[in-house]
Formats: sequence, structure tokens, C-alpha cells
Amino acid sequence: MLLRRPRALRWLHALLGAASPAVAAEPIDFNRQIRPILADACFHCHGPDAASREAKLRLDEREGLYRVREGVAVVVPGKPEESELLHRIVSPHEDEVMPPPRAARQLKLEEKDLLRRWVAAGAPWDRHWSFTPPVASAVPEVPERRGWRSTPQVRNPVDAFVVARLQREGLTPSPEAPRAALLRRVSLDLTGLPPAPEEVDAFLADSRPDAYELQVDRLLASPRYGERWAWDWLDAARYADTNGFQGDPERTMWPWRDWVVNALNTNQPFDCFSIEQLAGDLLPGATREQKIASGFHRNNMFNGEGGRIPEETRVENVFDRVETTGAIWMGLTLSCARCHDHKYDPVTQGDYYALYDIFNQMSEQGRAAGGRSGAIAPVIDLSTPAEAEAVRKAQAAIDALVPEIERFELAKFPRPEGKPVIDSPAAQRLPGNLPATHARTEVRQRGLDGLLEALPFFRDTEPDPAYVKLLQRHIAAIRARDRANDNITRVMIMDQRGELRDTFILNRGSYEAKTETRAFGAVPALFRAAGPEPGPANRLNRLDFARWLVSPGNPLAARTSVNRAWQAFFGHGFVKTAEDFGVQGDPPSHPELLDWLAADFVAHGWDVKRLHRQIVTSATYRQSSRGSAALRERDPENRLLARGPRHRMPSWMIRDQALAAAGLVNLALGGPSVRPYQPAGIWEEATFGKKTYVEDQGDALHRRSLYVFWRRIVGPTTFFDAGARQVCTLKVPITNTPLHALVTLNDPAFVEAARVMAQRVLAGAAGDSARLRFAFRLVTARSPSAAEEGVLSARLSRLRANFARDGEAARLLSAAGASPRPAGLAASEHAAWTALCSLLLNLDETLCKE
Amino acid sequence: MKPLAPLEPLLDARALHTRRQFFGRSALGIGTAAFASLLGRDARAGAAPRGQPGIAGLPHFAPRAKRVIYLFQNGAPSHVDLFDYKPMLRQWHGKQIPDEVVGGRRFSTMTGGQTARPVLGEITKFAQHGRSGAWVSDFLPRTAAIADDLCFVKSMHTEAVNHAPAITYFLTGAEMAGRPSMGAWLSYGLGSESEDLPAFVVMTSRDKEASCGQIFYDFYWGSGFLPSKYQGVAFRGRGDPVLYLSNPAGMSREMRRGLLDDLAALNEAKRRDFGDPEIATRIAQYEMAYKMQTSVPELTDFSRESPATLALYGPDVAKQGSFAYNCLMARRLAERGVRFIQVMHAGWDQHRNLNSQLKIQCQDVDAPSAGLIQDLKQRGLLDDTLVIWGGEFGRTPFLQGKIEETKQWGRDHHPYVFTIWMAGAGVKPGLTYGASDDFGFNPAERKVHVHDFQATVLHLLGINHERLTYKFQGRNYRLTDVHGHVVRDLLA
Repeated sequence: MLLRRPRALRWLHALLGAASPAVAAEPIDFNRQIRPILADACFHCHGPDAASREAKLRLDEREGLYRVREGVAVVVPGKPEESELLHRIVSPHEDEVMPPPRAARQLKLEEKDLLRRWVAAGAPWDRHWSFTPPVASAVPEVPERRGWRSTPQVRNPVDAFVVARLQREGLTPSPEAPRAALLRRVSLDLTGLPPAPEEVDAFLADSRPDAYELQVDRLLASPRYGERWAWDWLDAARYADTNGFQGDPERTMWPWRDWVVNALNTNQPFDCFSIEQLAGDLLPGATREQKIASGFHRNNMFNGEGGRIPEETRVENVFDRVETTGAIWMGLTLSCARCHDHKYDPVTQGDYYALYDIFNQMSEQGRAAGGRSGAIAPVIDLSTPAEAEAVRKAQAAIDALVPEIERFELAKFPRPEGKPVIDSPAAQRLPGNLPATHARTEVRQRGLDGLLEALPFFRDTEPDPAYVKLLQRHIAAIRARDRANDNITRVMIMDQRGELRDTFILNRGSYEAKTETRAFGAVPALFRAAGPEPGPANRLNRLDFARWLVSPGNPLAARTSVNRAWQAFFGHGFVKTAEDFGVQGDPPSHPELLDWLAADFVAHGWDVKRLHRQIVTSATYRQSSRGSAALRERDPENRLLARGPRHRMPSWMIRDQALAAAGLVNLALGGPSVRPYQPAGIWEEATFGKKTYVEDQGDALHRRSLYVFWRRIVGPTTFFDAGARQVCTLKVPITNTPLHALVTLNDPAFVEAARVMAQRVLAGAAGDSARLRFAFRLVTARSPSAAEEGVLSARLSRLRANFARDGEAARLLSAAGASPRPAGLAASEHAAWTALCSLLLNLDETLCKE
Repeated sequence: MKPLAPLEPLLDARALHTRRQFFGRSALGIGTAAFASLLGRDARAGAAPRGQPGIAGLPHFAPRAKRVIYLFQNGAPSHVDLFDYKPMLRQWHGKQIPDEVVGGRRFSTMTGGQTARPVLGEITKFAQHGRSGAWVSDFLPRTAAIADDLCFVKSMHTEAVNHAPAITYFLTGAEMAGRPSMGAWLSYGLGSESEDLPAFVVMTSRDKEASCGQIFYDFYWGSGFLPSKYQGVAFRGRGDPVLYLSNPAGMSREMRRGLLDDLAALNEAKRRDFGDPEIATRIAQYEMAYKMQTSVPELTDFSRESPATLALYGPDVAKQGSFAYNCLMARRLAERGVRFIQVMHAGWDQHRNLNSQLKIQCQDVDAPSAGLIQDLKQRGLLDDTLVIWGGEFGRTPFLQGKIEETKQWGRDHHPYVFTIWMAGAGVKPGLTYGASDDFGFNPAERKVHVHDFQATVLHLLGINHERLTYKFQGRNYRLTDVHGHVVRDLLA
């Protein structure tokens, strides 16, 4: 205890002067206004982390805040003068003032004032908002204000919450977006593809009052819906087609990806979707599909680098699984708690290892698969009956050959029956490592490499043609079996060891520094109802935990899911930090709406399509994204939602849109990943020539972006601002660099799209004006204004003149890409339109969801 | 030396002229704010007073270095064969290294199970060089000749025993992938001084024998949780150095200009209609792409380099994709205001080929590294350019392999002590800092941890490493995690 000093609170009054009374009337919200200050400035030393806690004082819990010890009260509700906390934050004494002068985070004057007013107002405390279950509050009554506009502002409860807030802020919602823009927006959002001109026409001509809702239902039912929403889930699941790290071996996780697309298309409820992915293998009578689903937690990177200590890899994989789960289903950033109690959220190191114990029970060893395969056990074999039969037959051929070889070797290397070849005096004089190794290995165990090395000895050094023939048959049989094997798809899945591993807390998170403290599978104490401490008797397994995650006991699964959905539509969630709903996370912009949606989502059976429908049919979503200068100044990020969303689309969607505009897109569903255009040498440079990129041919070049092969160490070059697919990514920031512009201008995928779009335009309309309008509609869904048409038309004339002068240039540009070009099309006209279409594909409006 | 491009005017006169009809008097204003956000600055900072790149308040104090060239030697050069001369190794050659020196340390699985650990003496001759008397072996004669310009840190140590985690540790402050790399932090914090080149450029090369499999992972220059515009731009070793830089076949530069003029006109009309300031950023983005299409070919055109300059970098300088070529590129990028230039060269992983490959590897690297220092120095660029040379760890003073099989001698990974060198801006030239023990096994004095090294680099750039932070997942992250001390004795 410090020596008592003269009270310093008068300093606060002096500092703040007359400023405070004016705002004192406003009620103070502890969660929104006070906890963030305490968390940021105080929790580091007076928070959840016991190891770094000073003066045994915790300010993240009610008990600590109201603590009285040795006559000193931290906070006395209603009595600022008696509250030590307030004295400390304004103390002029270096050894007394808090935060201490050396701390990086100091309190601002307004923050000190806010703390004082909060104490004066009775110092109300509340649990961190996201740690209590979401409750659907009453939908606000919003008085319709006359004279705003004709379209309804409140179409569903979502709007009631949004409009109520806007009214409080003195803002009005924007009118509905033009119909063409709206259809384009919702088509891109729900399917990742733009509407075809005929679809726009049909919608514009549809005067039914529910014409828009019918479009929404059409889009939700499209198989393209699952493909669009799978992308975000693949980012979260760190899905890729290789392991990462040295060698970067290929894996075949695409059946898992197809499982996701199918689950989304069939609208599997999110709770089942979650349980099957986290613990499908542990479900009673688990189906093949449920086992594939459990591959979710095998999508992490895998370090099989030479010299790597397997246990280090294994432990890192478990960390990754714990933390990915924490981010997606709990909105908690757990990684800090690997090494010490969390600094801000009430998650201890013990809590972390209780989760670790749950994910610590898989049979994975941390060792690479060996050879070329990236599929590391446990795996599920997805061979078709024919493929399995082919492997069985090939293996049977080997098995049939083995006794024949054994008989031959008994004669060639005489020895008592049952003894290995090497025991024969005839084998012992074989020179060097090889073929002595050959002789040491049982026939059944011999592999291709050993046989290939032994063969020359018996062919050239000590020729034995009959034996060589036999060895060659053995080699051929093994090769045939390997070929058959290569056609089999093995998907990495989860399993559970028979004998569970003992889990110990790891000192500083180091795999080699086990402490003596055991941990048993349990949910974090924060969410545990009072009851026995975790132990061997109530140890949770993965399935128990998965079920808990989507149970009412976890207040965060529905909130984080609803928030991510909102983020996908509006560019940001109610909570901007999609991965962190903890104390240091961004406070929600619309807490009541977030909770209402979350509760409603659960009440309606975690129905994802219903949630999406609810959002896109709201008036809020249907607003125009045009905004006055005043509104943009007031709310540049559109967090208040007084206008519709407008953002540059993800790069994968821009590519899909270009393919669709050209009529090139190949809508085949699922299957192995494809290799579209990529500049030569990208893989070779990154892998020292060990991996060669061979472009696909034909319409595989034009599959949707979802199916593009993702090499983990060097991702597809056609995408930018994409999640790296290395760790769980729940939000990808949108940035702008010149390199992005170079992709959409010069990437052969986009140049070819422009060229084929030109063909479509030339064939689809007659006359420049009609063609220009058609082309413009292909990318923006609307017709150009007269001014826009004027600019394009003038450019077209100049391009024609250019290409008429330069026939070679015309020939080159009009032949871009591998897809066929119709005969009889004049190169100069085709090239001129190609250049023009490239311009249209790069319009800001084209690149944006508006 | 070409002066660094000033931040203003951001639109050159010609570009302005062509679109004046659409931009009118507001052109410069839009362009400035939009360019500011492209140049790696917060969009809102664009409205702040001009000439303040990066985030507000940075640099924290006057920097000594304006930019960094990091010559990263992937695979880990053998400190005991190149810089850290230990006569004791020769005396103990072939004898088991004492247990008290090893102290139960862990090694990679390549030697982790090996019980015989015979000491291996240096495989070539050492001598002292220059007025400073720095020890450099005869595998690096050109480096030895400029020893008085260099500052050797002989007490470096790290924690990781495998390549990828150790390199990630040096470049991002953490062993596991996913944190922003040093160059990304600097682009974020300090912004860019170039309007037509990225702030952070990466170039890679490998040994001619292709003797090792160390891959260049893109997270070595990733932006982690920082927005991706801060990630390093990897210049390619063949074809267009920047992906998709060239216009498609059949589209001339003039035609591209015309199309971009129309694109800007249409986008500007949209901006006025919609009021979305992001559209102004889009216009600037395309303008910068166009400029990059000019500036990059000019950058890679060595035809105006004098024969004397080219000779400094050695015979490989003309080969695109070689370390020598990349070193000359590094100087040209430095001249053009690129903030962080990461040149990575693989091939230092001599597990089984120390006696054959190390010398060749040194020949590839020696002249370009020393030539770069000399070239920078004679142009006055060394005064404000920090050059760093080093790998992710060192190599064991004991042998990997069998002592009688000299052709297959090797050394395993050794994180416990190793040597790097630094030169230029604010670093004491001719200094040898710290020392290892008699076996070159552990630091003996003035240990420098990876985080200390990172703190020191940031310090030279005018940054307090504890105050360059980014909030992610509720926590303020920084390059040095929660560690790191500036090694003040290194500073001139």
C-alpha cells in the first residue's frame, strides 16, 4: 500500500473546468464507454492475466472494481471523492499516478472525465456484452414520417432497428436503388455472378409487388449460391490444395470443398454444419459425408520441412485448430493464452489448454506423409468401386508374383527355408550397400527405388537374365499398382485415438516445455455454469465441445455468424473486428439488431438462407448507395446504414464476372481443382523448379474462381487482396494498389474475356449504338447515359482507325486467349471492340458492387 | 544521384493536361488525396497537411536511415568458416565437442540423433583486414577489402532451428507465418517516397548448383494482418519484373493512354454523380499503374550504367534473376525512393557439401555484396541507406557426417550464435560487436537477439519499436512482439 497522499481529485475538476456539466445529463453505458477505457489503459496490469497482475487488483471484474481493502475503496458508487481509482488517474505524483508515466497508453482528459461521471452516476457495472446470451429485444416502433418518399422504409424488423437509430441520429434512409442496380447487387451478393441482360429485362418488366423477392428466391435456389458463399468459408477454414512449406506437396481436400458447397446449397442448418465439420467423425454411425466434413480441421498448413521435429509440427497444428475454432465460433482471440492468461479477456492459460486437450486427441503424428503425397493420415479413401477394384487387382498381381520370386530366390540364394535371403552365403558376398540392401529386404517389402537400384547389378555385373526378368515384372507390377493408387482420392479427416493423450500446460507455449499441470477438455470457465472443476470425470471430447459451441451455453456462435453474413453484404459487420468480440474488439454499431438477428437465427433453426433472405429483402439493403457529401462526411464508413453498400468486389468475383460477361464461364460444379492462365515460371521460381505449372486446356480455363488450384506457398496470381489461405481469415481488407489495376488490364484471363465479350457484343446486337449499350449492360446491368455513350463511341472510332492502320496489332489482340475465335470476323473490328470491352471491364462501376 | 521524387506534384503535367477537361480545377486536390491513400497512407491522412507520409507521428525522431537493403542469405552461412575465426576449432578438430559447451541444446533432426559431434576446424584461411582488423576468411575477398565500412555483429542468436520458422522470425518477429514482415511495417508506418514504384520490393535468387531446397515463401514479405497494400512486391527473375506489367499483344502504349483517359473520364463522372471518394482513389490507382508501366522498364534498363559500375558487381550482373543483378537493382530502387528492398539469396545450407559448395556460394555473393556497398558509398547513398547482410542462423562448429568422409563434410543448423554484418546509415563502420565463445558455439559477450536487431533497425529509421503498433484481435501487435532492446553501441 502506498503512503496516503493529499487527495488529488480537485485536480480533475480544475482540469476539466466547466466542460463537464453540459454533457453530464447523457446516461453512461458501461460496456460501450467505460470498459473500453479500462481495458485499454488498465487491464494490462490489472486484468485477467494473474502473472502480470499488480497489487492483486483486477479491474475487469465487478469484485475488483468495488474492492475495499485497508480502508481504501477502488470505486465507491456515487462518490467520486472517495474512489481511489479517480484519485490515481489524476495524481500529480509520479509514483502514484495511473497509468504509470512509463506506460505507452495514457488517459485522455475526456476519458478521465468520463470515468468521473460514471462513478458519480453510481458506477454501474455490466458483464462484457458478448459474454451474455443474445436476447431478441422488442422490435422498435418506428413512426412512418410523411413526405420522405413512396417506398417503404421499414419492410422487416431489420429496418425497424436501423431506422430507429437513424432517427436518433437525425438522419434519413436513402431511397431504393434503381432496379437494375439492385438486381446486380443482389445477384453478385448471393451468387457471385452478375445478372444476364435477359434477367434484368425480366425483372424490369415484372410489375408484381413481390418481383424482387421472387428474384431473391431464384438466386437462393441457384447452385451458384453455394459456390459464392463457400469462398468466405474456405478463407476461414484456410483451405488450399497443398500443405505449404518445403516441398509444398499436393493434397486432395477438394471433396471437403465440395461438401461445403453442397451443404450451403442444401441449406444445412448452421449448427449441423458446424458439428459435422468439427466432429463429424465422432457422430454415432458417422457417414462418409460426415467424415469428409471433419476435414475442416485438416485444412491447416503442415510443416514437413527436412530436419523438422515432428512433435513441434503436431503441437502447432493443435494450436491452429484451437485458435481457428475460437475465432470462428467464439469470436475470441485465444493465441495469447498459449503462453499466459489473456491480457484482456477472461481466458486463462488453463482454459486454453482445456481446449487444447479437446483437439489433442487425433492420431496425427506431425510427420510428413513421405513421398510426393501431401495427404497425411488419418485419411478417408474416396475411391469409386472401379478405382478400388483396380488397386485391388494391381495389388493382387504383386501378391501373386511374390511367391514366384521367393521360390526363385530360394534356389538362387540357397539357405534353410524361412531364413532371409541375406543369410545365404551367396547373398553375403554381394557388394556394398546395394544390392545387399535388396537381399536384406523381404520380397513383400521391396519398393520401387530399391528394385531400380538393384536391377543393374544383376543385369550388368553378375548377369542373371531369368532373375532380371522376374525383377522387371516386379517393378512393372508395383508401378501399375502406384498408378492405380494415384487415381484414388484421399481426403484428410479427423479421428480420435483409442488411448487419449495426457495434456499438460506448455510453458510459454513451447512443445518441449511441458509443465506438470494437467488439463482436461472443458469449455472456458467464462462460459461454464457453476459446477465441478474440469477433470478426468467430466472431460469433454471434440463432439461434446462442438455441440456446446452451437448450444445456448455459447453466446457467441450465432452473433459471430450473423455478423459475418452482414459483413459480406455491407462490407463491414456490426462488429468490425469479425474475429474479436472480446473486450478489446470493436463495439457493435447496432447491438440490439445484432442480438435480435442472432436470437432470431437460432429460433429459426440456424437457417442460413432465411438469414440471407431477411437481410437482402430489407429496405436497408435495398437502399441506393449514392450518398450526399454531407452524409459521407458524417458517416464515411456507412456504419449507420443510411445508404446502401458500395465496395470493390473481391478479386475472385471480378474474375467470375468478367467470364460471365463474356459468356465464357464454365459452370461445372465441383471436382478437382483447375489450373487457369498463369504467367510461366511462377511455381518454378517459388519451388526451385520442383513444381511445374501446366495450364489446363479447353473450358477448364474458364471454371469459376472457387475451383482454381491454390498452391499455398504461391497463391494464384490472378487474385489480389485475397486471404492468404495460411491461417484462418475472417475479414479480408479491401485495398487499392496499381498492381491490382495491372491484373484487370493485362492478365490474359481478362484480355481473353474482353476479346470473347467483343464477339458476344458483335453477334448480339446490330449497329454501334445498340452494341455499345449491350456491352455496357453486360458489366453494369444498366444502359449508358448519353454522355457515357458519347465517350465510348468516340473511342470506338479512334480504335477502329488505329487497328485499320495496324493490321498486325489487330490480329494479335483479336486472338488473345485459347478459346476459339469465330471465322469470318474482321480482325480490326474485333480488336477495336476487344479494347473497348477491356475498358468496360475496368470501369469503377464494373469493379464495384454498387 | 537522381533526387528522390517529392510527394508533390503527384500528377505530372502531361497527365493533368490530358484530363483537365474532366477534372477542372479540382484535379490536383483529388489526385493528392487519392494518391496519398495509394502510397500506403491512411485515407484520412490524405486530407492532412501534405508531405507527411505514413501514419501520423512517424518517424518518432530524426532517422539516420531513410531506407533499407536487406541482403538476406537463406539457408544460414557458416559463421565459423566466414567471419568468426576460432583457433580452438583447429586444435580440437576431430575431437568430440565438450558436453559443457553443448549443454543439452537441441538441434534439427539432421543431427539431433547424432551422438558423435566432432569439432570441425574452419575449412579455409582467415586473416584480419583493414584498419579495423576485422576477421574475414579468404572465401570472401571483396567483402574483406571493405571491412572498414562494415559493422560485424558476432553475437547474434535466435530460437528457431529450422529454416522457414527462423527466416520468418527474422523478417516478421514470430516463428509462425502470419505476422507482418519488417518491410510491411515500414511501408505502413513511414509510407512511400516513390509515386510510381512500390514502397517494398523483394527479389530472390539461388545458388547456381541448386544445391538446396529452401523455398521463398510469400509470407517472408507478407503484410500479415496489415492491409495487403503493404506487402512486398516480388519482382520476378524473368520476364516482366512486375506481374502483368506489359500491355497485351496488339495494344500500344498510346492506345492504352487513350483508353485510360476515357476510363478516368467515365469514372470521374461517376464520382461526381455518386460522391464516393473511393472512385477518386480508383482513378489514381490506374494512373499509377500506367506510370509503373514506364518506370519499371526504365528501372531495369542497365544500359546507362558505366562499365566501371557494372564491374563492381561481378560477372553475373547482366543475368536477370542472379544475385548480382538483384544487387544492382537494389541500388537503382534505393535511388528511386523505395523504402525497403529485400534481396534474398538461397543456397547456404551446407549439410553435406561444405567442402565443395561453400566456396562457390561465396563467389556468387561476395562481389555483388561488396560492390553494392562501394557503389552506394561513391554515390553518397550509403549515408542514409542501411544495408544488412546475414542469414537466419549459423552453422554448428561440430561436424555433420563422418570426419573421414571429407567430401561429405557438413554443418547443421546453429541458432545459438552467428554473425551478420550491417553497413551505412547510422551504423558504426569498422566495428566488430559482441563475441562468441572459444568454440563459436554460444555468445560470450553482448548478446544480440533477433528482436534486439529488429529494434535497432527500426531505431535507425527513426522509429521507437515499442510505439509502431497495429491493433489486431484486440491486441496491439508490433514487430518485436513484447521484446527487443536497441543496441545503442552499434550506432554511430
